[in-house]
Amino acid sequence: MTALNRHDPAMRGAALLLLLFLAGTAVSCVSDTNEPAVVGSAFDDVWQLPTLPPPAQYGNVLINRLTRKSTHPSVAFSHWIHRRYYTCRVCHFELNFAMKTNGTDITEDKNRRGEYCGSCHNDKIAFGHTEENCRRCHSGTVASTDYRFAELSSFPKSLYGDKINWVKALRKGLIAPKQSLTNPNFESIPFDKNLRLAPEWRGVSTRASFPHQKHTEWLDCADCHPDLFNIQKKGTKHFRMDLILDGKFCGACHLTVAFPIQDCKRCHPDLD
Amino acid sequence: MRLKVVLIVSLLVALATVAVATNYGTKKRMPRPEEFGNVVINNYSEKNNIAPVVFKHWIHRARYTCRVCHVDLGFAMEVGGSDIREDDNQKGLYCGSCHNGKEAFAATSREKLVTEVKNCDRCHSYGKDVKGQKDFISAFKDYPQARFGNRVDWMKAEEKGLIKLKDQVEGISIKRQAIAAPKDFDIKSTILGMPDIIFSHKIHAEINGCELCHPEVFSAKKGHTKYNMQDIFSGKFCGACHAKVAFPFYDCQLCHLKEVY
Repeated sequence: MTALNRHDPAMRGAALLLLLFLAGTAVSCVSDTNEPAVVGSAFDDVWQLPTLPPPAQYGNVLINRLTRKSTHPSVAFSHWIHRRYYTCRVCHFELNFAMKTNGTDITEDKNRRGEYCGSCHNDKIAFGHTEENCRRCHSGTVASTDYRFAELSSFPKSLYGDKINWVKALRKGLIAPKQSLTNPNFESIPFDKNLRLAPEWRGVSTRASFPHQKHTEWLDCADCHPDLFNIQKKGTKHFRMDLILDGKFCGACHLTVAFPIQDCKRCHPDLD
Repeated sequence: MRLKVVLIVSLLVALATVAVATNYGTKKRMPRPEEFGNVVINNYSEKNNIAPVVFKHWIHRARYTCRVCHVDLGFAMEVGGSDIREDDNQKGLYCGSCHNGKEAFAATSREKLVTEVKNCDRCHSYGKDVKGQKDFISAFKDYPQARFGNRVDWMKAEEKGLIKLKDQVEGISIKRQAIAAPKDFDIKSTILGMPDIIFSHKIHAEINGCELCHPEVFSAKKGHTKYNMQDIFSGKFCGACHAKVAFPFYDCQLCHLKEVY
């Protein structure tokens, strides 16, 4: 074995290359997870909250996985139109819709065969996948459902997002969303454990509260477990606010569809 | 020498940083019905410039019980764990126990490779556009529906006589008198509010025999094996089957059913 000579120019070159690689990796890691460069005193700069769309367009997504390569207008999907009649679990559990825009392999063929949108949009449960109805989904703009937002004007209010308190609307019986398409006798597991999550930062006393039941009214256990949240106590790694802002953990829903992250006190009730 | 150590340590740190930046806290993609239970076996294929094998559980489980392959033929329960070679198959082990031209289509022998390769592609199909004889969606369209996995309720399909599962393969299996399955029992949940599990030995023993689970996955003494849901999620205990092949653990109420139904 030959000993390494640190004065050898080849070795120096190698060391320099490695350093560059390390620096590159560090930079790419930071940009991968959007980790803030400053942590500590400048909290306000760290929490770069996303800008919110107008209330009528909160939760509207433009699905253009295939349409952007064709001449057809993209599909505008409005969560607030659908969540009045169906809970989250119907689509994101039973119908296998991903939790990310364009994350599902929806095709026209599959819709016509009764998968995905076609599970309901079959002219029986909801309007069919027929020519006269094309424009109702393939509208090309997330503003296409704005004219119907007034239908929700009598619902309880909240501060951000679509400015509707869906949890209260459900409790008051203003909406009665179906929990299952496949099982008419569906009952979710009656699990109402409230979690009080202590912060891991020294000197910070603001806890987060998590009511299981308010979530199981809409979601299935498997919507969150075990992919988003590991079920072991303290088993979820990297559960941090900056990663939630990056769309992970709570951010999977609470940035784009469920009440937005701006509403700090709904999760951190003892925040001043 | 010190420089070398520093170099190696810094390289390890760099690799660790990359590994940490993987996907945590995000939803995994749910497999489509025809993809669920498919495994890619690639112990030797690519090293020998052959496409890896795509093994479809659903084709096989519609005809045979689990124990035929995982007990009688000795297939491991993890992908690549059996270390199957072409030679094994030609000698009638593993896949070759059935894929011999009698029970199922045979592997193409080396002498015929020049003139006849079509059977190779039927298994060594990874990355190829191979149309199977059965199209999943049309084949199982009228079968009882399940919510996950293949979206086929295999147990009901068997009850209704839509599928008939062979439990013995001629020349391989040696028939034994079945041991009467122990009674169903409750597995108590350790978390308040989570319904208990009703475990049916009978249902499991019909397709698995005893040997598939005992004594390795579960010890034989009641209460002796300690495990929790996290272990199952990471593919141990019930998760050995109920993560990838049997109905997946996402369907909580199918096991945690005591107070629900």
